[in-house]
Parts: sequence; structure tokens; C-alpha cells
Amino acid sequence: MEQMIEMLEGGFVLVRPAGELDHHSADEIRRTVSHLLYGGAISGIIWDLGSLQFMDSAGIGLILGRMRDLRTVDGGTVILNPSSTMRKMFEMSGLGDHLLDGTATDAIDKLGGILHGK
Amino acid sequence: MENEMTLTFAAVSENEALARMTLTFFIASLDPTLEEISEYKTVISEAATNAIIHGYGEDPSGMVEVRAMLEGREVTVTISDKGRGITDVDEAMQPMFTTKPDDERSGMGFTIMESFTDNLKVESAPGSGTTVTFKKTFSPVPEVCRTTG
Ligand SMILES: Nc1ncnc2c1ncn2[C@@H]1O[C@H](COP(=O)(O)OP(=O)(O)O)[C@@H](O)[C@H]1O
Ligand SMILES: [Mg+2]
Repeated sequence: MEQMIEMLEGGFVLVRPAGELDHHSADEIRRTVSHLLYGGAISGIIWDLGSLQFMDSAGIGLILGRMRDLRTVDGGTVILNPSSTMRKMFEMSGLGDHLLDGTATDAIDKLGGILHGK
Repeated sequence: MENEMTLTFAAVSENEALARMTLTFFIASLDPTLEEISEYKTVISEAATNAIIHGYGEDPSGMVEVRAMLEGREVTVTISDKGRGITDVDEAMQPMFTTKPDDERSGMGFTIMESFTDNLKVESAPGSGTTVTFKKTFSPVPEVCRTTG
């Protein structure tokens, strides 16, 4: 699975998976992101799904799993630019509050707000 | 339009994409909207993945069978395995219910399948396997597209 991972200021990680995210391809991205999480001071993950052509419930499991990892450091999660089908799946899974259409900067603003209890 | 197909594949995770692609090609002549295609693909992916990982535990000697039938603008898809089976189907279909939480399954597969189909039926018996059948009707192609296309 193609993926792009970028460290942003403030300890935020931007993950931009591309192609198709299913049970088969989820493992690789899980390994990469988990590696980063265990390695350093991460204060949140921004999942930019704008380049993702397909996602099934494996994507939900992947994001929920990383949210669990982030809980120990009180880190936040933003899901950026999902397709309308993906949006429906996230809403069904109770992740509606994490969705945002916009840029990584908008996501950081949202995370800053969450972290500062606004 | 009437058409019919059958596809059989081994229970390996690479074949999740194969099932999605083949069944998407099968309905391409209906000119579905992008949203209809992505919902339909998602349902196939959920059912095929379940057969592969829950039915057979990714044992490549297990075979998953997919049948599809097209009648007008309605497609009927059946995805079946002869694997482990489900003891309590009602329980399995509850949102967030999963027997594989350690593999980061979300337990949302059946909930998503129900929401993206017109009709979903799950038949299963422990030890003999699981069959998921769904129907989806694609919206009519708008007049403008039909005359220009
Ligand atoms: N083909 C199958 N064979 C055996 N068990 C199945 C099958 N499909 C689903 N199940 C059972 O139903 C549960 C719920 O399935 P689902 O909603 O897709 O969630 P998930 O796949 O995330 O566990 C699974 O955890 C599994 O126990
Ligand atoms: Mg599933």
C-alpha cells in the first residue's frame, strides 16, 4: 500500500494512505504508524484520506487501533477528507466527531482545540 | 440486461481485491454512480474478507465462492464459504461485535453491509459454513446521459 507519512510541528503525524485500504493492505500501514508511535513523542494523528480510492472496515479497525495507542499520551485524531461512502462508515462507527474537510493546518487547529479543551 | 457469473478463489487476502474488481466489472454496463460503486465494492469486500479470515482463518485450501446475477438494474450477489460457520448470527450482526478484536477487526462489517444494500441475508451453521446474499438496485441513468452517451 502506498502511503506518505510526515511529521508536523507540535508532534502531529500526517498519514496519507493512497490506493485501496482493506484487510490485506492494512497491516503494512499499521506497522509503520505503530513504529512511529512507540518511538517518539506523538501528540496526535491526522489521517488524510483524500488520495484513498477505497476503504472498507479494515480502515475503521486501523484508526480505532491507533486511537487506542494514542490514549496513553492523550493524543487526538482527525480524519481528513473522506469520500462520502467512507464518511458514512465512520459515522456508523461513532467517529463522526473526528471528521473534517480541509487542510492539514485546519486539522492541527482542530487538534489544538481538542488538546486545550476548547 | 440479464447476466450471470460465478467466481471461486482461495482464502488468501490478496483475493479481496480480486472479488471487488470482478464484481465491479460485472455491473459496469449499468453506468452506476461513483457512490453506488463504492458502496457495492465495500459490501463485497466485507463479505469476502469475512469468508477468508473468519470462515477459513486464511487457510489457502479453503475456497470462497461468489455468484452474481443481474436482472434489469438489480444485482443479486451470493458470497459463500464452507468454513467455521457462525453460532449466533443475530449476535454476530450487532454493531461492534467481533470475535477477532486482537486483529483490529472493528466488528462493523455486517452493519456496513446492511446499510449499503437493499436486502441482506445471512445463513450460517457452525462447522458447515456461511452464505451472505445481498441485492442492490442501481438508480436509473439520467435521460441526458442516455441520449448523449
Ligand atoms: N464467513 C464467516 N465465517 C465465520 N464467522 C463469521 C463470518 N462472517 C462473520 N463472522 C463472525 O461475525 C463476526 C462479525 O463480523 P463483522 O461484522 O464483519 O465484524 P469483523 O469482521 O470486524 O469481526 C465476526 O467477528 C465473526 O465472528
Ligand atoms: Mg468483517
